[in-house]
Amino acid sequence: MTALVLDGVVKRFGDFTAVNDLSFQVAEGSVFGFLGGNGAGKTTSVRMMLDILRPDAGRIEILGRAPARANAPHVGFLPEERGLYRLMTVLDTVVYFGRLKGLSPADAARSATALIERLGLAQWAKTSLDKLSKGMSQKVQLATALVNRPRLLILDEPFSGLDPVNQGVLEEIVLEMARGGATVIFSTHVMQHAERLSDRLLLLAKGRKVFEGTQAQARAQLPPRLRLTARADPSLLPGVVRAITAGPVQEGWQEWEVTLAPGREPGDLLQHCTSNGFFLRGFDLHRPSLHDVFVHLVGGAR
Amino acid sequence: MNRILLVAKRDFRQIVATRGFKFTLLILPVMIGIVTLLTSFLRPPATSAYVMVDAGAGFAPVIEHRLDLDYQRQVLRDLSAYAARWNQKPPGDGWADDASVETFIARGGADAALKQMRLPSGAPAFKPPAPAYIRVPVLAGVPTDQGAAAFGRAMTPYLSGDVATPQGKRPLAVAAYVSVRGPARIWTSGRNANALIDTLQQERTRQLRLSLLAANGVEPAAAARIEGLEAPLAVTAPPAGGGRAQMTVRSLVPLALVYLLLMASFITGSMMLQGVVEERSNKLLEAVLACIEPRELMLGKLIGLGAVGLTILATWIGCALLAAYFIEGAMADYLRPSLAALNQPWMIPLMAFYFFCGYLILAMAFLTIGSLSNSMQDAQAYLMPVTMGTLVPVMLLVQTSVANPGSPLPVILSWIPIYTPFAMLARLGSGVQPWEIAGTGVLLIGFVTLELVLLGRVFRASLLSSGQHPGLGGFVKLMLRRD
Repeated sequence: MTALVLDGVVKRFGDFTAVNDLSFQVAEGSVFGFLGGNGAGKTTSVRMMLDILRPDAGRIEILGRAPARANAPHVGFLPEERGLYRLMTVLDTVVYFGRLKGLSPADAARSATALIERLGLAQWAKTSLDKLSKGMSQKVQLATALVNRPRLLILDEPFSGLDPVNQGVLEEIVLEMARGGATVIFSTHVMQHAERLSDRLLLLAKGRKVFEGTQAQARAQLPPRLRLTARADPSLLPGVVRAITAGPVQEGWQEWEVTLAPGREPGDLLQHCTSNGFFLRGFDLHRPSLHDVFVHLVGGAR
Repeated sequence: MNRILLVAKRDFRQIVATRGFKFTLLILPVMIGIVTLLTSFLRPPATSAYVMVDAGAGFAPVIEHRLDLDYQRQVLRDLSAYAARWNQKPPGDGWADDASVETFIARGGADAALKQMRLPSGAPAFKPPAPAYIRVPVLAGVPTDQGAAAFGRAMTPYLSGDVATPQGKRPLAVAAYVSVRGPARIWTSGRNANALIDTLQQERTRQLRLSLLAANGVEPAAAARIEGLEAPLAVTAPPAGGGRAQMTVRSLVPLALVYLLLMASFITGSMMLQGVVEERSNKLLEAVLACIEPRELMLGKLIGLGAVGLTILATWIGCALLAAYFIEGAMADYLRPSLAALNQPWMIPLMAFYFFCGYLILAMAFLTIGSLSNSMQDAQAYLMPVTMGTLVPVMLLVQTSVANPGSPLPVILSWIPIYTPFAMLARLGSGVQPWEIAGTGVLLIGFVTLELVLLGRVFRASLLSSGQHPGLGGFVKLMLRRD
């Protein structure tokens, strides 16, 4: 079953098109990376999923239903721009959001207490939020998103403002939620988090989808880069698109930056060299990271 | 509905927990208490003392008699008002001539008149007014037989202070020296002395006229009749507590409600504005709006802040009633008659209706301003026209309503929905035609509904917006936008 469907969604603000013909699906129980640069349309898309904004065209389905506040009991949301009621206590804040999401007073209090404990905030439960550090406030806000044990968790830049230890705690929580059957959609600028967490990911640029797929598929968007140390010019080898000399090494050996054609495996080239007497002294393979893919795809779209 | 009440409860609890709210709650009762105490402490005593030397002129008993007559006239006036209040036959009226007052005194004065009344069991005892002047003996050491100048010199130092009287220490208002010949000499402290000086002059003049009439051969008895002649007057006036006074007293509750509505709306409106600005600047609205509709947020805030306003009102009114209960006479003099204006069954619901609509009109304006502002500084630009546009006409309205409820301004403002609640509340005590109540009521309901819809759209559209504020055109567009 799909937890989220966007089909040809368009959102305009006056003459500006924030989201343009966006279509994708997120399978239930998966962790989905929703990536894009600043102003790519992520927040607008998320607001449409939550019915805070209405699309001008297209269709959105969230847990099998149209976006509406009626979905709030099943959805957790951590916005990018965070803030809380300064004068409310930690416990009251989390309980309040639990109640807004339809929990009974007892359930909200029970769930809030457990979460506060889990996030290491127990000793500040009765403290008003204006007395907490930014990092602790972030954790309280995370608790407000999780208090209803959501089936769909939408996290907009969840790692910003957290120290490495708490980033680890949050990663653990995301994976725990997914293991429990929840669907997690998160946006981030830090590609390491996306690499560690996401089953599938989508890259958005200027409101348009520029990529959707698995991490392997994303990496395949960029050809692997090879650095060979050879006596002969490797540009004529099969699958090689380009070979640029990186300077002589010694005794006739030269370093080459080799670019393979998309889809060609570096292992095939190595096998060809060894079986055809193409002497190599160095074979250094560099696979593209998500960061490279992001810069390539999102940067290209700009 | 549950989520609306959750928002209302949260907003209410947050505000009542603040020091500012507690301060607001107490400020009015405390200020009124302080002013009342200061007024009672600083008010000069009702009675002043005077010293008179009658150097053979036989003038002192005449003055004492005149002052007593004037005092008994005041007693008669107060007693008549008291009798009217408790549905008794008044012993006289405030325009009684000297002869009537003499009769009143001869019949035993207030005590005798009170004995003839059948007062209800709850009626408080009649308290006669304090006499304006009380004569005290010449102070020890002050010469009375060395002429006016010596007497005046000796008295002058005493005029700046108080002297002992049977009622306790009282300011010495006047020292007079009246001889057979020459002018009556008066030394005064300037404190509460004018009425006594007028009386002295009038009586002295009367004496001189009588002497002149006698010198011209008029029989002393005839001269006295001529001098004592008073043109008969037939004065028809409403009973005490009736007529214009009744109108004013009856308008007391509605007029007080105008002020209360104004204060409560502005105080809670400011709190609401601050709350929305805080939510916007704290960036927490997005998380809230993921759970509830903007409409629910808006209604929750209106209800929550309405409850705050009601709490303030209940406290203030409770304190006022408590104070009136303990301040002798206030309950009977003002509150009971003013509350009597509410005896018609439609009066209280009507006032509640105007109060509710007035609150909604202003609260919605404040809420919208909050949704358009990123900071309180931003909000000030919008607040000024709303505040001035409300305060100035309403202040004019209250003044006009007290002076002349039927004048054009209150009537015109009654038909402008923004001012209808204030104008109608101000006019209710003096009587408004049912068709006018119905007409302005329908217009008001239409306006409030339209305001909720149109400003509700602005509120919804502006909550998460950032950047430049819309101009007038943009504002109208937001009002007309359905999504």
